[in-house]
Parts: sequence; structure tokens; C-alpha cells
Amino acid sequence: MPLQVFAFELYISDQPNDDGTRLTVEWDPLPPDDLRSIDPEIYSLLRSESPDGEFTSIDIVSRLDPSRRKIDENLATGRSYYYKLAYSDSTISWESNVAGPAAPEENWYNRSRTNVLIGILITGAFVGIFIILGRKGKSLYLRPIAGLNAMDEAIGRATEMGKPILYSSGRGKMERPASIASMNILGSVAEKVASYGTPLIFPNNDPVVTAVAQEVAREGYTKAGHADLYNPDNIYFVTDSQFGYAAAVDGIMMRERPATNLFFGTFEAESLILAETGNSIGAIQIAGTDSSIQMAFFIVACDFVLIGEELFAASGYLSGDPQVVGTLKGSDYLKVIIIIMILFGAVVGLLNQEWFVNLFLTA
Amino acid sequence: MRRTFPILVCFSFGMTMLVQFFVPSKLSTDAYNEITNWVQIIYAFALIVGVVGLLKYHFSRVSRRERGWFYNLVTVASLIVMSLLGFIGGRGDGGSFMWVFNNMMAPMQATVFSLLAFFVASAAYRGFLARNLEAFLLLFSAVMIMFGIASVGNAIPPFSDIANWILINPSMTARRGIFIGVGLGTIAVSLRVILGVERTYLGKE
Amino acid sequence: MSIWEKAKTLDRRIIFLFMFLGVGLPLLAKIGLPVSVTDDVRNVYNYIEKLEPGDIVLVSYDHDTGTLPEMIPMSDAILRHLFKKDIRVVGMALRAEGNGIGRQNIRRTSAEFDKTEGTDYVFLGFRPEITAAILGLGTSFEKVFPKDDRGIPVGELPLMNEVSNYNDVKLVISVTDDDTPVYWVNYANARFKVKVVAGLTAVMATTFFPFIDSGQMVGMVAGLKGAAEYEKLIKTPGRAARGMDAQSIAHLVMIGFIIIGNVAFIMRRRGK
Repeated sequence: MPLQVFAFELYISDQPNDDGTRLTVEWDPLPPDDLRSIDPEIYSLLRSESPDGEFTSIDIVSRLDPSRRKIDENLATGRSYYYKLAYSDSTISWESNVAGPAAPEENWYNRSRTNVLIGILITGAFVGIFIILGRKGKSLYLRPIAGLNAMDEAIGRATEMGKPILYSSGRGKMERPASIASMNILGSVAEKVASYGTPLIFPNNDPVVTAVAQEVAREGYTKAGHADLYNPDNIYFVTDSQFGYAAAVDGIMMRERPATNLFFGTFEAESLILAETGNSIGAIQIAGTDSSIQMAFFIVACDFVLIGEELFAASGYLSGDPQVVGTLKGSDYLKVIIIIMILFGAVVGLLNQEWFVNLFLTA
Repeated sequence: MRRTFPILVCFSFGMTMLVQFFVPSKLSTDAYNEITNWVQIIYAFALIVGVVGLLKYHFSRVSRRERGWFYNLVTVASLIVMSLLGFIGGRGDGGSFMWVFNNMMAPMQATVFSLLAFFVASAAYRGFLARNLEAFLLLFSAVMIMFGIASVGNAIPPFSDIANWILINPSMTARRGIFIGVGLGTIAVSLRVILGVERTYLGKE
Repeated sequence: MSIWEKAKTLDRRIIFLFMFLGVGLPLLAKIGLPVSVTDDVRNVYNYIEKLEPGDIVLVSYDHDTGTLPEMIPMSDAILRHLFKKDIRVVGMALRAEGNGIGRQNIRRTSAEFDKTEGTDYVFLGFRPEITAAILGLGTSFEKVFPKDDRGIPVGELPLMNEVSNYNDVKLVISVTDDDTPVYWVNYANARFKVKVVAGLTAVMATTFFPFIDSGQMVGMVAGLKGAAEYEKLIKTPGRAARGMDAQSIAHLVMIGFIIIGNVAFIMRRRGK
């Protein structure tokens, strides 16, 4: 079949904001005028490093592809490439004009993420300013959090009853902010239970969290001057299975009958299984989680619940560290900015203006 | 030094990942790939730490014949048996490992999950009382959702419409508020960790 | 003690008994309560319906065995839709237990459509560390999963030769019982722009409404109800449709107890 080359253009451009390994190939609506009678479903996209060299098929192009573009990947940075589209059957062998040269360029800044960068800079500035203010000793007010105020009472009750306190950080891995916040609360709890001499049991769902929790609790006991009371056997890894963990903690509750249950961290479907069992044994329960769904379950079954960011505020609240409190104040002011932007966005949205929403999109 | 080094590691990796997000160059992409690979490798080692800790804990309880030591023994035996089944017979379909997985582990875990249905019912009975206007609204919403989304009311337009309205409007509004709060809390904790302000998680001084 | 006072301290085992009957009896006697399709499920169906034969979809099993009864009907319904449309499936797991579940599920469902492993579908296995794994796939599937679940290098699998990163995948479906789809949205969608769908336990559903509303997720199939809706859309009744009767009656039992609790509460107040 004689090869026929027709005037059909491909448009090649460097893929912006990448590591210099991609080119974008775009084309006009298919089929080309000369193939209108056949109207093929599928074409081949060919690539070569020279206009006269051998072209190899790198992808197929569907007539129906609404985007009319392909991204060619894993190319050499700075090298020139040429492209063409081809179709052949028993009656015709068709090729488009050769498009190119085009060379992928390496970028050192992703422009499409400028809005994210601005957001991070504003956030960092607010938090940074308040950390500095905290360091300088400026007094920053934190509103009382009922759940944390009740902590002393809950620990005291366990001491009076001569029963242990059960602590759980749920299912979160150590890198989750909720797990970090939980470890901070654990530090304060360990310090208090050490001074009262009340046993603290912490069955764990993740080996890394276990190791960290053991260190944090040991530190708390040491700070309270009762390092001798610390028992590493009370903080142990049970299983990383979700319901295996729920069954194990429920079993511990039924056997050890803790007077106080503290649930701080990331919880999933096991939250209510734990909290209801705790409720059935009459334990005082305080919970805090970053999962909005499980918050609802905890609210029904627990005595006190930290809502939303209160979990993250807890470490500043309990430790009183002015730098930590500073970060909380910083995020409070950010919240004010967000509220203003939401209200402004709502007004702009009602006026059918999309530019404001577009400011927050990333490519 | 015991604290300075981890803080420096945390700061440098935290900043690297932050900067990397804005720098698409090859060097940055390669660094990012290396870090994500290493995180997975380190986590695999953490599992070994977990297994060793688990065995240590349960063995010590068995050896001291503490209350319920038999269950500690069952845990250790299960761990060893499952490991042997996996190593010797493989984890392929039809093998003994998968038989235990399908016929023992799955039903046992599903049983614990199924407790949720019973606990939700008892918690709802106890918690959903119209003590005041707010509690009544909560109660009304819960009943509407249960009837209009998850039950027969789903096929009755007024109920399904009301339930969907509750889910899409007031429920989602409240949830978004919590999301924003949690998001800001997350940012604050992350910055505290990266900047070394938050150190409790490092344990000993 | 009046009956209303007794209702206050009702033995929860009575509630458990009624719940047991509410779930158990409908499973024995088929009722066939109607199921109407919600937009979230229809959006998932429509998105898959618009895909071309040969397109590739990533299905990640991010759940444990505990939620199997709720997850499997949904996973089966979606996989049947994918295989029926000759869409190729790359399976993986971000939970250790999801590995066994996903592998068996994909193989079982693919067998119904005479699909070949390696060409029409693959199962890559399990990777720990959710964030690192999801981010890693954005650069290279082969780096995160050098071999498939059977130990075969992915370079030797014809399907995987066409999958370099998320750009080659039309959709990510996370079948999960927790908030793993949030990671898929935050890292795979926000960073690499791949479309995300969640197959969830019903209890997790409301977490994801904001993500669907913001366009970060295509839709979701939540719980047995979502699975029953999907089965209705693909016109293949399965396990979910049967389970829906039990779920509906169980909810009615719960509503009944809430009403009883409130009547008792009001009567106690009046008596004071």
C-alpha cells in the first residue's frame, strides 16, 4: 500500500512543571479530512529522535478521546523529539506531517502550586510569630477544655477505687498528627498516674507507637519522681488487626475493670465497640479523635469528648509550654482568616463569579 | 545529643518533603523517591520490633504463670503456627495458610465487627433522648437518616429527600467545620514537630 | 419501680436479642424490600460505564477481614462491572489482610469472565506505609511493586508494561473500612490528579461527602446498601440485595427502641 502523507498537524509542547522528562502531544479533532470516509477508531502515535529517522509506535490514539492530548513520558531531558500520527489498513497507509522538534525542559519551580506556597507561608508566618511571642513570655489565653479538666478527676477516681487506667491511641500510625498529639497527652497522664501510684495499661495497635509510648510513659514517670513504678509490661503491642485489637482491649476491660478509659488518637469502626464496653463496666471515659465519624460514637458512649482540634490543643493545654500554646493561637487566627474567606467566597459565589474559587485550584 | 539528632533528622526530612512539593526537578523527584522507599523499608523493620516485643511480653507472662497465661500461650502458638504455615506451605490460594485465613481469622474478626450493630443499638437507646431542643434535633436527624437512607424509607421520596437533605446540608456543614479545625490542628502539630517545638514523642531527655 | 423507670435501666441484652432477631429473621425469609439508587453510586457507575475497553483501573484492598461481609458484595459488583466492560484491573493492598482478600476476590471474579492473569488483571500484593506507597506509585508502580503477588517481576507482565504511574490509570478504587481514601485523595488525587472512588463500610460514608462535593472524589459505594444499588445498576443481583432486607429491618428495630426510650423518658418526666 503506497504511503500517503497528509497535512494534519500535531502540536508538541514541553510539559510544564515537571522534571524534564515529558512532552505533551495534542491534535486537531479526528478524523482528518482525507480519512473522513473511513473514520478509523484507532491511530498510532509515533516518535523519533530525528525527522528522517525511524519512527516507533509509542501509544494508540482513540478518535473518541475527548482530551485530544497524550503525555509522552520517560524522555531524556534536553533531547529533541519528533512525532507523527499514523493509520493503516488494507486500503490505505496514512501518516500525518512530522511535528517537532521539541525537547523536554527541567523545571525548578512548580508554578501551578504557587497558591499552596502562599497558603503555607501565611500559615508558617502566623504560627512562627506566635511561637516567638510565646518564647518571649507573652501570656496567651487558652479557653478551658472540659475533657481535659476532667482528667484529674478521672485519674483520682481510679486511684480511690484502686483500679487501673486504660489508655488507647487507636489505630493511627506514628506519623499521624493525632498519634503525636496522643503521645503528648500520654506524657501528662503518665506523670499524673505516677504521682498517684495508679497502674496505667496501654495495649497497642502499632509497633512503632508502642516503642514511642513506652519512652513517653517512662519519661512521665521519671518526671514525677517515680521511675521505679514504671512497668514496661503494661504498654505492649497486641496486634495491628483492627478487630483483633478491639477484641483484645475489650477483653482487658472485662478482666482488669479499669475505672477510667482514655481514648486519644485515630479511631475507626472499633471506637464504639471499645466505648460501649467501657460504658458497660462503669468506667469514666474521655475521648478525642481526628475522625469526625468516630467523634459521634464517642459522644454517645463517653463522658467527655475533645472535639476536632481540641485533641491537638491538648498537649499545649496540659504542658502549658508557651511555644506550643503559641502554635495554637496561630491556628486560631488562621481560622478567623478562613472564616472571612468562606464568607467572602459565599458572596462571590452567589454573584456567579468563579475567579475566587479558581484561586484555590492546583493544576 | 540524644534529642538534638532526632530533631535535626526530623527537621531536615520535613523541610525536604515540603520543598520537594514545589520543586519538580529530577534531583528533587529522585530524593522524593528515595525517601518514600526508605520509609517503607524502615516500617518493615518496625514490624520485626513489634513481633519481638509481642513474643517477649507473652513469653514473660507464660513463664511467670500470670493470670490468664493460657491465652498468652495461645497467642504465641498462633503466631508461630501461622508463620510456619506461610513459610512452608506458601500463601497461595488453596493452601493451609489461606484456609486458616478464610475459615478462622475472617469469621472471628467479622464476629467482633458485627458487635457494632448491637452496640450501636444500645448506645442509640441510651443516648438519643429528647432532653432539650438540640438533643431532639439530633434524635430527629438520626431517625430520619436511619429510616430514609438505610431502611425502607429510602423508597419513599419525602423520607429519602429529607434524609438526603440532612446529610448534604447540616451534617456536611458541621463536618466541614470539624475538618477545617482538624486540618489546622494537623498543620500546627506538623509545624511543631518539624521545628522541634514538639518533643514529647521523643521520650527521654 | 414503674415500667418507665425500668425502661431507663433496660438490660442491654434485651436490645441485643431484638437486634439479633431483626438481622437474623429477614435472612431466613426473603422480603425483597425496594432499593433506590443514590447519586454517589450512580456517579461511580457512570464513570466506569464511560471508560473504554482496555482502560486500566487500580483497585486497592485497604481493609481487614473483619469487614469482609460488608465489603465483598461491593467489591464483587464493581469488579463484575469492570470485567464485563473489558476494563483491565490492577489490584493491590495497603493492609496486610487486604492482600489475601484482594487476591482471592479478583481471581474469583475474573474467572467468571475468563480473564487471564497478567494480561487482563494483575494482583501486585501488599505494601505497608500508606502515604509512602501512594506517593511512590505516582512516580513508578514498578519501584513500589517490583514483583506481583506470585513473585513474577512486573516487567514480565504484559499489563504492567503499560502501567508506569497514575497517568496510565483511569481510576483508583479504594475498597476500605477506614479513612484510607482520604490518603488517596490527599496524595494521589491532589498531587497526581488521578480520579478516586471509595468503596466503604456504611459507617464511614459521611466522612467522604465533602470530598465528593468538592469534586476530589468521583463518588462512593457505601456499605451493603451501596453494594445493593450497584448490583441493581449492573442488573446482577448478588449478596448485597439479600443482605439489604436484614439491614432495613435492623434499622427499624433500632428506631423502635429509640421511640420506646423517648416515650419512657417523657413519662418519667411527667411522673416527677
